[in-house]
Amino acid sequence: MCVGLPARVRQVKDGVAIVDATGARREVSAELIEDLEPGDYVMIHAGAAIARITSDDETEADDLLGDLLGD
Amino acid sequence: MNDSVKRAAELVRSYDGRQLRVMEVCGTHTHENFRLGIRGMLPDRIRLISGPGCPVCVTPVGYIDQAMFLARERGCTVCTFGDLIRVPGTDGSLATARAEGAKVQMVYSPIDAEDYAGTHPDEQVVFLSVGFETTTPASCIAVRKARERGMTNFSLLTANKTMDNAYRALKGSADAFLYPGHVSTMTGTAIYRELLAEGVSGVVAGFTAPELVCALAVIVKMSEKGEPFFVNCYPRVVTDEGSPSARRIVSETMEPADSEWRGLGVIEGSGLKLRDEFSDFDARIKYDVPQIQGRANPGCRCGDVLQGKINPSDCPLFGRVCTPEHPVGACMVSSEGACSAFFKYDSSR
Repeated sequence: MCVGLPARVRQVKDGVAIVDATGARREVSAELIEDLEPGDYVMIHAGAAIARITSDDETEADDLLGDLLGD
Repeated sequence: MNDSVKRAAELVRSYDGRQLRVMEVCGTHTHENFRLGIRGMLPDRIRLISGPGCPVCVTPVGYIDQAMFLARERGCTVCTFGDLIRVPGTDGSLATARAEGAKVQMVYSPIDAEDYAGTHPDEQVVFLSVGFETTTPASCIAVRKARERGMTNFSLLTANKTMDNAYRALKGSADAFLYPGHVSTMTGTAIYRELLAEGVSGVVAGFTAPELVCALAVIVKMSEKGEPFFVNCYPRVVTDEGSPSARRIVSETMEPADSEWRGLGVIEGSGLKLRDEFSDFDARIKYDVPQIQGRANPGCRCGDVLQGKINPSDCPLFGRVCTPEHPVGACMVSSEGACSAFFKYDSSR
């Protein structure tokens, strides 16, 4: 249900995005994300970009654990 | 690994509180917790149990039989994600049907199936539309594209499912849920806040080692307080609002329906079917597909595995009769299935 592939958007036109996913270039649907732009990082699932990726996982961990442990 | 992740790992490793049962709702979490060595670092007091979040696994035998009917009796070209091809139906699998001469095509997405139909106008193409909130929007996009192009040779055999009522059906099975990260990109977090109000605890988790370790650390820390909790531990990808565009496309194309889940039975309102205005793209209507009551192998315990009642290795068929090369149940076939994960990674078997 959750297999996802991170990718970088190269081009967006008419609801379709060309993305780079670890070197492979592929056409995916861009209809599920508002205002997708070249340079955005996205998660790809079943031929569609499903979400923007806004930071890396270690920064996310810093924010999360900082809140939780009161840093 | 940065300091935050190291601290999270230490928090998890040193946990010695009350027994915690954490349900990996998503099959990809089960696989990643094994593959990344996270399961191996857990103390005895934290137990991971597998849940129903593998779309291929929860698809009932009768659905496979209907797909076989379309391929064998109606001469349709069946397009499907690869995992479904080897799931046993009552009488063989789609791989069996293909060996007999039926047309079965593996595709990466529903949109690829619609493209295939466009380039093969002499074939009647049916896409096996299984999946949860993450996958359903792509099926809806494919149907809408086919309608815009005036295609008459493309349809869906739907078995799409939604998670809300499944969480409720399973809420006594675990102390906390690891909610599925990519389903949540679509739904947002409102459903988890509703569940929180009903006393259900959980965290949305990502799929990398830092994300899974942090999600478990948050469960450990929040459980100490003894109150229900919800935390989005995957905010770099999952927003509170999710994807309104995806939800709109789905609600304009499909409507809720009761749905049968392998192991859980029929859950009211937990499925989706095409709306009447898209009935030309509904393979059940178009090809007059009968209701088929499928029969699983009576020894198969996939149903109990999917509810977290047993570990795969507790099934008498596991690793003996049922292996990835010769699967008896869906959970051994799918790359997200719990039995497949235990077979691949659990060295104690």
